[in-house]
Amino acid sequence: MPLLLAAAAYLGTIAVALAVALVASLTAVWVLVRARTRAARPEAGTSQGELEAVAAISNALAQTHDDRAVARLLLREAGSMAGVEVACLAVLDADGKTARGLLGRAEGADLDWFTETVFDLEREPSGVATAAFEAEPFTVEDAAGSPRLSRPLVEAVGARSAAFVPLIAEGRVIAVLVLCSTSEPKTFSDQELTLLQTLAAEAALALDRARSTSALAQALADNERRMAEQSALLRAAKSLTSDLQLDAVLHRLVEQVAELLGADAADCYLYDRDRHVLRCEAVQGLSPELIGFEFAADRGAAGEALRQGKPVIAAAYSGLDKPVPNEAYADFADAIVAPMRWSESLQGVLGVGTRGGRRFTVEDANLLEAYAGLASLALANAQAFDARTRQARVQRGFFRIASALGQSLSLAATLDAVAHAANEAFAGAFAAVLMPRGSTLGLAGSTELPAALADALDSGLPESAGCLRTAAADNRVLASPEISEDDRFELAWVELAGRAGCRSLLAVPVASPREETSGLVIVFFAEPRSLADEDLELARHLADAARGALQRSELYEAERTARALSQQLARTGGVLATELEPTAVLDEVVQQAPALLGAEACAIRILEEDQLVVSAASGEGTQDAVGTRAPSTAWLSGDVFQSRAPLAIDDVSGDWRLIEVDPILQTGYAGFLGVPLSGLEGALHGVLAVYALRPRTWRPEEVEALQALAANTSAALSNAELYSRVSLEKERSVAILANIADGIVAVDRDGKVVLWNAAAEEITGIPEDEALGRTPVQVLQRTLESGEEDAPGGQRLVSIVKGGEEVWLSLSEAAMRDPLGAIAGRIFAFRDISADRLVEEIKSDFVAAVSHGLRTPLTSIYGFAETLLRQDVLFGEEERRTFLGYIASESERLTEIVDQLLNVARLDAGDLQVDLGRIDVGSVVSEVVETVEESGTTNGHRFELDLPSEPLAAEADRDKLRQVFNILVDNALKYSPRGGTVTVGARLREGTVEVRVGDEGIGIPQGEHDRIFRKFYRAESVGRDGGGGGTGLGLFIAKELVNAMGGRIWVDSTEGAGASFAFELPASRE
Amino acid sequence: MTKVLVIDDEAPIRLLCKVNLEAEGMEVIEAADGPSGLDAARETTPDVILLDVMMPGLDGWRVAEQLLEDGRTNEIPIIFLTARAEFRDRARGLDIGGVDYVTKPFNPLVLAPLVDDLLGRLQRGQRDELRREKLTELRSLMETE
Repeated sequence: MPLLLAAAAYLGTIAVALAVALVASLTAVWVLVRARTRAARPEAGTSQGELEAVAAISNALAQTHDDRAVARLLLREAGSMAGVEVACLAVLDADGKTARGLLGRAEGADLDWFTETVFDLEREPSGVATAAFEAEPFTVEDAAGSPRLSRPLVEAVGARSAAFVPLIAEGRVIAVLVLCSTSEPKTFSDQELTLLQTLAAEAALALDRARSTSALAQALADNERRMAEQSALLRAAKSLTSDLQLDAVLHRLVEQVAELLGADAADCYLYDRDRHVLRCEAVQGLSPELIGFEFAADRGAAGEALRQGKPVIAAAYSGLDKPVPNEAYADFADAIVAPMRWSESLQGVLGVGTRGGRRFTVEDANLLEAYAGLASLALANAQAFDARTRQARVQRGFFRIASALGQSLSLAATLDAVAHAANEAFAGAFAAVLMPRGSTLGLAGSTELPAALADALDSGLPESAGCLRTAAADNRVLASPEISEDDRFELAWVELAGRAGCRSLLAVPVASPREETSGLVIVFFAEPRSLADEDLELARHLADAARGALQRSELYEAERTARALSQQLARTGGVLATELEPTAVLDEVVQQAPALLGAEACAIRILEEDQLVVSAASGEGTQDAVGTRAPSTAWLSGDVFQSRAPLAIDDVSGDWRLIEVDPILQTGYAGFLGVPLSGLEGALHGVLAVYALRPRTWRPEEVEALQALAANTSAALSNAELYSRVSLEKERSVAILANIADGIVAVDRDGKVVLWNAAAEEITGIPEDEALGRTPVQVLQRTLESGEEDAPGGQRLVSIVKGGEEVWLSLSEAAMRDPLGAIAGRIFAFRDISADRLVEEIKSDFVAAVSHGLRTPLTSIYGFAETLLRQDVLFGEEERRTFLGYIASESERLTEIVDQLLNVARLDAGDLQVDLGRIDVGSVVSEVVETVEESGTTNGHRFELDLPSEPLAAEADRDKLRQVFNILVDNALKYSPRGGTVTVGARLREGTVEVRVGDEGIGIPQGEHDRIFRKFYRAESVGRDGGGGGTGLGLFIAKELVNAMGGRIWVDSTEGAGASFAFELPASRE
Repeated sequence: MTKVLVIDDEAPIRLLCKVNLEAEGMEVIEAADGPSGLDAARETTPDVILLDVMMPGLDGWRVAEQLLEDGRTNEIPIIFLTARAEFRDRARGLDIGGVDYVTKPFNPLVLAPLVDDLLGRLQRGQRDELRREKLTELRSLMETE
């Protein structure tokens, strides 16, 4: 942009010059017009004819544009008007010091010599001079005798008398009209002089106009030439300024200037203001060795040009007072030197020279001056560009650094970005960032770094570059413009730099956010490089920016660590939830810990009897360490264990005391960080340690992270421990719940069943898997809750339906509360009291049955007695016998009932005597059947006996056996339809003697097969309540008696198809 | 002649009733269980039914219910013969629609006057009044118990 501006400004300059020339010519025209107007005014004392003649001449003169034509017309008219033979016109120079003959005429012919005549107006007396100085016409009648006239001229013309009339334009004498009479003396009248003056005035105007026109034409011509020169300059400028490299500009400059001016040689020197010397920067036609040559700025043509501030032509070059002290210029014949200035400040000089032949002119000097101006512009441009380039580079560097800053990058990425930014900012070949690592500086980030250098720096800054470490420690910038000549570096570093292809370096300290010592950004350059002001500024900025970036990335890293930690915690939490094996927890932790801290290995040591045993490990080469033991008082892990505090060691290298006690360190690890693993109630579990292959600094948050992981691990281990305890407890509880007789049901806060024990299954008839996750209402078709917030104490009676039957439960309820006091669930405990309720009912029925059983025979006894006692009715003998028979049998029935009641009372009291002995069951059966048949109470039934021929010997009590069999036969008779068959059988079967009594009655439903043997139970059908056995005690008594004899009793029956009661007794072994 | 149906599974009790009621000039029809009792009631339309409660098969309560549901027999007054001394049994009988009850053991000589008196009152249209009396009697018995 400035370049274009400069070009535009230059073109503008040309335009201004043209404008000035135009304005000048316009002024001339205007002056002429004004003069003509004035001249048109009539003058007093002049005849009309003469005036007309003057007007005619004036008009004629107005048509004339050439000064010689004007002169010719003037001389002709004036000569004829005055009547003289000779008329001449001399024109004054611009300075008014001389006059030259323009045209002379005598006798109708031109006086050739007159045009060569020069009048020295100041020094030589002449009529021309007098008229010019006085600006008035004057006449001399005796020309020969007048001292005011120029002798040679008078003689040359042969003048007798003469008149001199000045031509005045714009108040200034521009020419003098000379009229001479040669034939005879002549007196010029006043009228003649007035006319001549008028004529002279017109001629002056015409002449002035003609000269102005000529000047304008000249100006235009000059402009055209200048335009041509300037366009050449412009072309040169274009090619000059298109190259913005200063060196290239200067070379182009001297090349073009030599060509432009047709010079043999050209050179360019730049001015060093401080040392007041000129230094050769570029040459053309001279030895390149001259570049860099310096001389004092007051010497030679250059010194002169600087003094004068304009181009100097040194025509006699060798004759200079103080020549430039260099042989290169010795053979110069001519030279021009022009100063180069830009904006009032001297930049240097531009010179051209010839070695004989051509001589330089003023035009050449002007051209060189113009070119020098152009060159200084190009120079300024190039310098500005250079500065701007540097500035741009600085700004780009700023931008790089800023963009590296702008993002929250990881530490590694930020360090690389800092290296990259520094390299860009300083236009380096490659760059490295070294950060404190242990006691040295280690490679932390780089850009374009050659492998050789990267390898060397990776293991820490070499000792041969110790000055860099010092610079970092002192927090100062170190620049080495030429490494090979820098005695601060040792040979090894110099050679390393040479191999890596760098000649110079710049090291800028950057503060490490977590270290007291600084790190370094080192920019390497392929070429020698000195440090400029802007480099320092950039270095400062880089240091600031890098510190900011590193701090930010430090925050980022901290955040990332925190995130990684929380993820780790979540993962460990996941392990906790899924994995309750302590070894699985340990394995998970040793896998995760290195990743968490960017370490390479991890080990967990658990305390076992004063020794720390490596219980889990991860990382290369660590597996052999598992199972190894070390005293809990040893170094490292022992220290951690004893102090209960973290221990961080950046580098154990070389410390055999430490390496000796840790088999993992022996496999080549350098960094160690250990934290204690706490156990339950403040006890110590052991030590969690991570290892780094390379020496490294353990950051405080890394230590904290590992501590957090250790805490987590401890919690996990404790939990695993607790879990094993709890699971044991749970197993016990489950066993207890499973074996408890009460149904236990627990529901959660949503009322869903979470526990349904075996007894609950048994009591409700609903298996656990059907109940879990559903509400009691869904499962049991009724709620178990009391509906009160706090479960009421004590038992409640609720009924449920089980298999279509009502089952009565005695239920107690407890609310479980969470720590905040809200209901977290409920526990219900219940037992089946249906049997108990049944007993109640049965007891009640028993009362009725006993009442019936007793009252029925009593009714007969009482009734027949009353009947027999009637006086009003006479009964026959037969009737009376019947009545008395009833009284007798009913009395017997009454006795039986009372006996049964007594039996039960004895059974209840446990007062049952069983006298076991070898008994032939068959004979007892036969006897009873016989007795019944004889008693006539068979109720029309028929007996069918099925007995083996051989005896059926059993271990039994004969009376009790008879009683049992009696009850069964009695029942069979009672509950079979009249006239039915009662089947009685006995047989030996698998070591027992089985007795069976079958009837053809209504049978017994399956569900009552057990219940009919209960005390007071009577079958649902009321059909079973009649008769002597109607107390509901018969089968109960039978069962108790069979049990007492070591046997068992049961019934096989289908409802509606009769019943077959059977009991078995142990067969006698004898 | 007053016709009385005795339904009872106990032969001695049927005989007691028969002997003593016939001695008072009444006609006695016997039934040994519920179903035959129902048949007899429908066929013979007795003036009074003496009904035992505790019988095998169809018990007295259900026999009474069926009698009262049947248009042919629902007007026949039922006197329950019961060994059940509890008040709830007596009340149940009245609830079902019985007009009186006799608790075993009883003096067979009182049966004929009871039947006569009952029939007399019923003829006088005092059926409901009779039941009310019996309920009141039962209540006062329960209260004094």
